[in-house]
Amino acid sequence: MTVLLQVDNLVKKFGGVTAVNGVGFPVLKGEIFSLIGPNGAGKTTMFNLISRVLPVTSGTITLDGNDITRTAPHRIAPLGMGRTFQNLAVFKHASVVDNLLVGRHSHMKTSVLGGLLFGPTTRAAERAHRKRVEEIIDFLEIQHVRDVPVGALAYGLQKRVELGRALATEPKLLLLDEMVSGMNAEETEDIARFILDLKEELEITVMMIEHDMGIVTDISDHIAVMNFGERIAYGTPDEIRADPHVIEAYLGHKLQEDTEAVH
Amino acid sequence: MRTGVFEESYSELISLYRNPTQTYWTVALVLAALVAPLLLTNHLTSLVNGMMIAAVGVIGLNLLTGTTGLISFGQAGFLAVGGYTAAVLSADYGMPLWLCLPASGLMAAAFGLIVGIPSLRLKGLYLAITTMAFTIIITHIILSAESITHGSSGISTPKPAIFGVELATDKSFYYLILAILTLAILGSANIKRSRIGRAFLAIREQDIAARVMGVPVARYKLYAFVVSSFYVGVAGALMAYHIRFVNVDSFSLVISIEAVSMIIVGGLGSTAGAVIGVVFVLGLAEVLNYVIGSMGGTLGSVSVLELKGFIYGLTIVLFLRFEPEGLMGIYREYKNRWVNWPFRY
Repeated sequence: MTVLLQVDNLVKKFGGVTAVNGVGFPVLKGEIFSLIGPNGAGKTTMFNLISRVLPVTSGTITLDGNDITRTAPHRIAPLGMGRTFQNLAVFKHASVVDNLLVGRHSHMKTSVLGGLLFGPTTRAAERAHRKRVEEIIDFLEIQHVRDVPVGALAYGLQKRVELGRALATEPKLLLLDEMVSGMNAEETEDIARFILDLKEELEITVMMIEHDMGIVTDISDHIAVMNFGERIAYGTPDEIRADPHVIEAYLGHKLQEDTEAVH
Repeated sequence: MRTGVFEESYSELISLYRNPTQTYWTVALVLAALVAPLLLTNHLTSLVNGMMIAAVGVIGLNLLTGTTGLISFGQAGFLAVGGYTAAVLSADYGMPLWLCLPASGLMAAAFGLIVGIPSLRLKGLYLAITTMAFTIIITHIILSAESITHGSSGISTPKPAIFGVELATDKSFYYLILAILTLAILGSANIKRSRIGRAFLAIREQDIAARVMGVPVARYKLYAFVVSSFYVGVAGALMAYHIRFVNVDSFSLVISIEAVSMIIVGGLGSTAGAVIGVVFVLGLAEVLNYVIGSMGGTLGSVSVLELKGFIYGLTIVLFLRFEPEGLMGIYREYKNRWVNWPFRY
């Protein structure tokens, strides 16, 4: 399988704090890849580096053969990367349709003058992109709220709108930051089903940060584990489950070892 | 009887008029606007002209502050740039009105670009102060560049005329202003239903998410400044022709505050709200003038100007406290409540 995203030796320092320290892994085309680790391990920082929201201290990020380590964040979407945010970043006062249409931004060419005049070209573009947005709305089953301001929706639906907005950018790689946190079992299952559909129907590579180990081990092809800014393991769900470093990070030392350390 | 709004094509969804009722009301409004000067007194026509001119500028400010979320107290400064450009070009260089208007807009837009650059890094109060400083600086530049602006003595502008037709009276000038206001409203409504307007809104709501969606935030903030100040520049030029005189005193900082209060009262981000806010605030001022005038011009020891300032302040505070979405918010609430009555939805 070919590599879609390659991260090498990535370092991010905030002043004296090293949030990410020499992390690297490949994300293969067409797979579901999970990034896990305890709170404060640097997972979201990794997402912010990969989506270029934060500047990289050192290391390289390659997307589909293009070095994007220094690319401006607004040029990432046209290169085929979409993402969602850990703490919802939807446009609350805009309708669901308008939220998704913002995702179409880099696929449209309307200029300021084109917008002011709203001539036939602009009109045709609006029509075409609205059609695409409606398809995504159908896919995510949010037709019934399409004209509602997103701020007025329930949390689970807002998350789904955010997923839709990321899909509207037509990503090859989709970064999902804790999609199911705060969701009940039913909503979690819905999202798991959508993620599998993304992979199988739309052939989108998914990279996700998740705390829910159930969904991670059920649907991931590969998992990378981070702790204190470092990658401590990489492998298939079975390998990760058996990895002593992972068990240590999540469960701590065995009591025996602790006593030995004291002596 | 209409039981709901049903769209059958994407074209209907992007249309400005989503149902026949809206179309009928718009036609009625246009007809009323066309016959209005025939029924109004000269004084009232002049007042309406002033309102429509202010509306052109406030619609521009609304794109910047309401839609994009960049607070600006530069309104008076941009009005001054537009007004002085029109006055200098028409009085000293004899340029016709149809050239002066776009020239004023472009000149203000150029200044908008300059003021917009600090906005790339500043937000909220800091931006408000920067734009306020711009207004003050512009006043000083106008006062000191005497060779062009005639300093503190001001400039008298010629009678407005378009393509040889003199618009000497308020009633004839009314139609030109009405046409420009219509264009301004259409432009604003259009930009808001295109990707440009959605990008503006995205920047206001979540600038990082906007960036990740592919919106070059810095460039779009500058777009917002340029488009907005173009509007305000044109309004400034119209103001110069309307008052037939420009002077730095016509562009004091109070105008900026008044403009911001108009978009708050009307409803931030709404084009219709901008127009309603102008009518409300200027209408209130006019009513106050009338009431105080009929009481002999003074109210005990309180002057008219003091009382006006007090009422403006009170209006802003009351709106921010009780109806942050402004008059448009109230309208929407009532519309939603009654549109499907007696059914719940």
